[in-house]
Amino acid sequence: MKIWIIFKKELKDILRDRRTIMMMIVFPLLLAPALITVVSKVQMMQMKKAQEKKLKLHFIGKEYAPNLYQDFVSSERIIMIPYLQKDSIQHYIQDEFIDAVIEVSSHYNLALGQNKKASIKVYFKGSDSMGITKKRVEQIIKERERFIINERMARLHLDIDIVDAFEIDRVDISSSQEKIGKAAGGFLPYIFIIFGFMGAMYPGLDLGAGEKERGTLETILSSPASRFDIVMGKFLVVLSAAIATSFIAIGGLYLAVQQFPDIPVEILQVIQDVLSLKVFLMIMGLVIPASAFFSAIILSLSIYAKSFKEAQSIVAPLNIIIIFPAIIGTLPGIELNHTTALIPVLNVSLAAKDLVAGIIDPILMAEVYGSLFFLAGLSIWFCVKWFNREETIFRN
Amino acid sequence: MIEIKSLSKEFKLTKQHRRELGESFTDKKSICAVNDISFSCKPGQIFGLIGPNGAGKTTTLRMVATMLKPTHGSISVCGHDTVHANQQVRKKIGFMTGQTALYDRLTPNEMVQYMAELHGMKKDLFFQRRQSLFDLLDMHDFADRRIARLSTGMKQKTSIARTIIHDPEVMIFDEPTSGLDVMTSRAIMNLIRSCKDDGKTVLFSTHRMGEINQVCDHLAIIYNGELYFNGSLNVFKEEMTQPTFEDEFIFRVEGK
Repeated sequence: MKIWIIFKKELKDILRDRRTIMMMIVFPLLLAPALITVVSKVQMMQMKKAQEKKLKLHFIGKEYAPNLYQDFVSSERIIMIPYLQKDSIQHYIQDEFIDAVIEVSSHYNLALGQNKKASIKVYFKGSDSMGITKKRVEQIIKERERFIINERMARLHLDIDIVDAFEIDRVDISSSQEKIGKAAGGFLPYIFIIFGFMGAMYPGLDLGAGEKERGTLETILSSPASRFDIVMGKFLVVLSAAIATSFIAIGGLYLAVQQFPDIPVEILQVIQDVLSLKVFLMIMGLVIPASAFFSAIILSLSIYAKSFKEAQSIVAPLNIIIIFPAIIGTLPGIELNHTTALIPVLNVSLAAKDLVAGIIDPILMAEVYGSLFFLAGLSIWFCVKWFNREETIFRN
Repeated sequence: MIEIKSLSKEFKLTKQHRRELGESFTDKKSICAVNDISFSCKPGQIFGLIGPNGAGKTTTLRMVATMLKPTHGSISVCGHDTVHANQQVRKKIGFMTGQTALYDRLTPNEMVQYMAELHGMKKDLFFQRRQSLFDLLDMHDFADRRIARLSTGMKQKTSIARTIIHDPEVMIFDEPTSGLDVMTSRAIMNLIRSCKDDGKTVLFSTHRMGEINQVCDHLAIIYNGELYFNGSLNVFKEEMTQPTFEDEFIFRVEGK
């Protein structure tokens, strides 16, 4: 068996390639954390900015609702713009000259006097500042509404509690680990799968199509190594690259998460749980056969291609095929069942979600493992078969 | 020793192939690259296989090197059948093409060691053999430099070293000088001669008649997958009716 000799050589070869190192180490180590850090920092900054922003408001009909108008005037971080053309207010908001307009109808006082609903129109731009403008304006209106309801109840000598018929006491029996696991657990294998695929892609292309292009395939085919040894040696390198890239990506993410000072304790607890040996090994048990599956597919396609360029164009669409089920797995409401347990990639995502949440069904888990190992075995078998075909390796 | 008997090789044609090959191939299901050829190469002799591009030389050599399986006929290398004992055959051969076929990111040292390991050479024997080859080819100065950084000549020396590191009984050269400069071509021709002197069986393909005249004892002319001559160089010269080798070659393949 020459597998080990071929594995050692191919590993040395790809580790000396700058492009592989970029894809395998630099990218996952920096890209995922950089993305998460930048996105969350920008989001937090935007929210803070929107909260602290001085809102520019215009009030139409202040003579009908002086109290409400006064509420706005006396609120912090609000500037009232006195005069505006009523028929142009939508343009003013669109052009961000003002943030919102509150319009009170002339029947405001009459309606309130008759214990009826008075209509208030709020114009705003929903796409701005994550809806914070709308929230801040409505908060002031709600406070005034609460005050009016209190007044009405007092006038009618009724207890304010009469307004509410029920008092719902929500008792959520799911643990914080389960909640966070369900919400974010699928994200973890998603990272594993995407980065694993990315890490496997370049070595896969290089060891198949690259070898053909350089003319070194004949060198190795005329050596005493069997085709099985050659393809398995190459496959193990591609698989190792996939797994190493996933690990590096997760390591990078972990480091990035550590940079955030205000992470809730529950999330930190989930991270600690995920990093516990048991959960980690179970997730790896899912990720390794899944990586083996797509490593064998990438290598098969690469062996088939006449050139590196052709291999790239064949393998690139696979990205979408891999990403699509991984994304579906992160969506809420998609659960692991006897059908989804058989769908590759999606099953990894869903099973990992349940694993992190700590609610895994052993039968479904066995089904997921079974299907993944079967697919991995099948794809490796196919890859070996494919490499043995003259029509594939000497396609020219 | 190489024995080739009634060897044929057909390649199945896919729709894409038929489209690419043009109208004359529209109804063909397969293409015959080598058609019923027989010859033998003996130890201590250089056997030249000459033919134009697409004649079937590379296909024949790839079948001898076990990379392709014959459709009909058989090949025996040092008494081993290339289909049923392919691994035994590969242990006996060294295969070299015009492309240096080296791994750019390895050093000559690593490249040679890789091939030695694949041939299951013992460490002591490998070190000894490497030393003598590196001395002979004057490779010590660049033995630890990455192959990508080497000149064509250095690469060709590395390619020679990796081909003969396991001291094969049979050497197969597939157009080894194609695309090389005069100096490097000469080094390759010298290697081929030294293989003969060492008593090895040498099978050598080329499309240059001059090279056949320089080194070969026997030759076979292959054209469109068929043999047009198979015999010693002396017999070929005696039978010549044309003034030059090239003219004789064209006369034979076109006149048949």
